[in-house]
Amino acid sequence: MDAAISSILFYLFATIAVLSAFGVVASRNPVNSAMCMALSFASTAAVYFGMGAQFLGIVQIIVYAGAILVLFLFVVMMLDVKSEEANLSNLPRAIIGVVIAGVFAGMVTKAALLLPGATDGVCPVKALCCEDCKPEATAATAEGELSGGALPQLAEDNADVKTLGATLFSQYNIPFVILSFALLAGTVGAVALGRKIRKD
Amino acid sequence: MEHNVLASILANGCDSACCGMWFYLIVTILKLVLVFAVILAFVVLSVWIERRVAGWIQDRPGPNRAGIPLHLFQRFGSKEEQPCKKLLHFFGVPQDCWIAKLFRWLKLDREIPTFGLMQPCLDGAKLFLKQELTPSYVRKVYFTLAPMLVLGPPLVAAAVIPFASGFSTPLGDVNMCVANLGIGPLWIFAISGLSVYGLTLAGWSSNSKYPFLGGLRATAQLISYEVAMGLSIIPLLMMFGTLNLQSIVQYQADNGWTLLPLWGEGLTWERWFMMLPMLISFVVFVTCVFAEANRTPFDMAECETDLVGGYHSEYSSMKFASFFMGEYAAMVIGSALVVTLFLGGWSIGFGADAALHNWCDWFAVICQFVMFLIKLVAFIFFFVWVRWTLPRFRWDQVMKLGWLVFLEVTVANIFLTAAIIYFIN
Repeated sequence: MDAAISSILFYLFATIAVLSAFGVVASRNPVNSAMCMALSFASTAAVYFGMGAQFLGIVQIIVYAGAILVLFLFVVMMLDVKSEEANLSNLPRAIIGVVIAGVFAGMVTKAALLLPGATDGVCPVKALCCEDCKPEATAATAEGELSGGALPQLAEDNADVKTLGATLFSQYNIPFVILSFALLAGTVGAVALGRKIRKD
Repeated sequence: MEHNVLASILANGCDSACCGMWFYLIVTILKLVLVFAVILAFVVLSVWIERRVAGWIQDRPGPNRAGIPLHLFQRFGSKEEQPCKKLLHFFGVPQDCWIAKLFRWLKLDREIPTFGLMQPCLDGAKLFLKQELTPSYVRKVYFTLAPMLVLGPPLVAAAVIPFASGFSTPLGDVNMCVANLGIGPLWIFAISGLSVYGLTLAGWSSNSKYPFLGGLRATAQLISYEVAMGLSIIPLLMMFGTLNLQSIVQYQADNGWTLLPLWGEGLTWERWFMMLPMLISFVVFVTCVFAEANRTPFDMAECETDLVGGYHSEYSSMKFASFFMGEYAAMVIGSALVVTLFLGGWSIGFGADAALHNWCDWFAVICQFVMFLIKLVAFIFFFVWVRWTLPRFRWDQVMKLGWLVFLEVTVANIFLTAAIIYFIN
């Protein structure tokens, strides 16, 4: 029953995520796009929750809630929504878009193929949504974790936080630091730009 | 006892695994209803507290009417014409002695007094029955969506707040927290942060200047203060070593509240060294909770002196009431989070929790629940007290406080806590 519920929820939220992601590119109104994006990220977070990665899910919401708000502000302050709605797309732009989307789709496919159980005949989606982890799922007692059980049951309170932190700060420490510097450079750049405008 | 009876009825036709599942589902639904009822009751209660305390601070009575008039009962067939007079007569009290005068002064001869507690309910009914006016120039979909986005998130965020410890029944343990997630405070930050979408969308979709400015201010304020809010609880998490709110409260019940370490391990001098970063965290966190709840002195988004009504200028009737209730629900959730993190949550303190648990689980849980509600009311009183004491900040002061003071203070506080932990251990 546990597994069935988490499968249903997975398919529900995955559908919402994909449909709203389609809405981001399909809608003419940039505000609609931004809101669809928020919905898409929120349902992705719900999928993470279903897989027991609660920390990842909640960080997704915290980070992107603020980010999309800022995006929304950019849309509202810098774009003229009415003229954007009338703007028809042209061919070169569409081609560039297709190329970038293709590259990303290839990346995601590669990552999905690397998942455990992806190549030996088990569907990667099934591997994600705990069909073959039934022992763990039924072993969860009445007041157990909410996780569906794709990951092995985490014994401690905040084991997923610990696992994520340990991985990020040991195995992937150098990429992590480099990325932080990239973000810091962006922040410093934004501050520099902001100050310059104020002085004029 | 309800849980037991229901579960045993279900148990007759079920094997043990299935029964555990049903037990879990039913208990969760009961807890959900309880949390929902508590939050909604507290929304009404905090409106009442707000008005009464405002009246008290400003030396005026505040709402003290809206009693239930006795002639209402007469209309529904009660033959008692003057119950108060008859009651006095029954006990042989003369009509002109001081008890009778006191009764008359309390208006007991005309109505059953509610001390104004019915006022918020009647206001709600009034707003519900008012004509709803949607201006023609608004963007309809987002205009309708916005109030829901303000009221919904605080109610969802309440799911992780533990309102008592657990107890065990023959069918399984019950944890008095709807979703005992390992990410408690982050869940509340994330979900209650979503309600700013409601404010921003309301401001934008109203399609007029002042609401738009209000929405922009709400966004900027959220982004500025969420950073400091998240960073300010890191010293606490370093001390507790867990993100689970139930475990955090359990730790405080055993070893002294964060701000009142007077029993258990709290008596050691290490804990008293930790008081300094904890106090800094407390001040920053409480200020950020005020800012997130959009309450004076941080109610920039609806500041009536420069923005008419701010983001809800164009709203009327029940949609306005949703904004209003959402603000108070956010205040209740913020208070609950502060109480849980800093003031011991449900714990009664001084080792009383463990003693009560040894004596009777049920009684302990009820006492803890009552204790939690008392602390919640006390903190809501504090919220209101601040609102009617401090004037509203200027917009640039709000931004400066967020980015130039709190961010630096919280980062320094994290290093201070780390240093204390490092040198003590």
